[in-house]
Amino acid sequence: MVDPLRLGRMLADNTLRHGYPLPVDPQVITGWAAEAGLPQPRPGRPVVFTGALYQLTPYIEALVELVGRFRDPRIPSLGLRLASSLPWSSELLLTLLETPEVARGVRRAWGILGSIARLLREAGMRPAYAWEADLYSGIMLYDLGMDEEFAQQAQRVHKLLRERGVEKVITLDPHTTHALRDLYPRYVDGYGLEVQSYLEVIDPSLISTKGEAGEVTIHDPCLYARKAGVVEQPRRILAARGLRIREPQMSGVNTYCCGGPIEGLAPRLSRRIAETRLSQLERASKTIVTLCPICNANLRAAAGGRGDLRILDLAELVGNA
Amino acid sequence: MEAREWLEQEVSKCVYCGFCEAVCPTLHAGGHRGYGPRGRINIIKKIVRDGEEPTPEALNSLYTCLLCGACDLQCPVGIRIAQAIREARPLVNRMAQERGLRITITPALKRT
Repeated sequence: MVDPLRLGRMLADNTLRHGYPLPVDPQVITGWAAEAGLPQPRPGRPVVFTGALYQLTPYIEALVELVGRFRDPRIPSLGLRLASSLPWSSELLLTLLETPEVARGVRRAWGILGSIARLLREAGMRPAYAWEADLYSGIMLYDLGMDEEFAQQAQRVHKLLRERGVEKVITLDPHTTHALRDLYPRYVDGYGLEVQSYLEVIDPSLISTKGEAGEVTIHDPCLYARKAGVVEQPRRILAARGLRIREPQMSGVNTYCCGGPIEGLAPRLSRRIAETRLSQLERASKTIVTLCPICNANLRAAAGGRGDLRILDLAELVGNA
Repeated sequence: MEAREWLEQEVSKCVYCGFCEAVCPTLHAGGHRGYGPRGRINIIKKIVRDGEEPTPEALNSLYTCLLCGACDLQCPVGIRIAQAIREARPLVNRMAQERGLRITITPALKRT
């Protein structure tokens, strides 16, 4: 029993106050870039923009798990009501979520982001990173119909990037790509960023062929496949590393959603959809490649720790060669 | 064009063919056709064209759409279904605030 307006209000308040939908330490979001040795923005260099989605996904998973623990749905509803009305309750919620498991999830996200940075370098690019500008894109606010708050966040992110001389942005997940490329121009006057996903800027012919041999299947995220036209690029990168791809039932532009976009609002419905998608994927291969942290989390939750399945982000599979 | 006007035009194109339903993940798991694109488009029609107040189950329907866009590819009259559902949400949010409606998402699931 979740009220999307209350959920949206909590996410919006935090996003507009802290830059992220939960009041996390900015180091959680940006720490990976220092480890990856990315420099501050410089003229002519593209800037990697995470939109915080990979780093925040472990918190979202923990929140969904926490809500699911209560048999009586009125309890999380009450919690959400408190969180949307008391200024410190988001901090309290964050304290509940900051478990060792979440810390491991953040560490894994950092590893994925570092692997993407290595892939970009391997393909001859010299990406930079704008520490203070890598805020949440606000995409959940848009999805929930909170247009005024989404517009404020879009304008803020755009201003921070432009103040740092950024012209080209490399995004790392489909939701942030959609927000910055398709939606921000509608909400920001004089929008002046060129936005591409890392999968679009990497030339697979420059990727080394050394890697993990074997057979995998791929789960196309809806926004990449149907909005951005990103279908062949990840397949070419996987093939460059020597991996054979077995297409699942419903792939490419006809992909089937993982259920992730409603995991917070309707967790049981979301889980059923994830289970359906997982069964389609595992019939093709027991190694499933994802391109989005939300898809990865939702499919892993549906797999429930099954040892015969590997559900890996593309960068985990090919980024460490 | 204003969002409401665009929305009204878009949803009025629906010819009730139901081709969109075959690919909708929430319809396969949800309890009734309100969890599919055709149901959602017609709920929006009721709200924006006929001015009806959404029922709690209509709100369940609108807020459980994944916005995945699988239905868009099936629509023979080219309705941008996912976009229409997204554009309906700010209108419904405003309506809820103005009229004091409480939105709680408790979707009906298909019996397994």
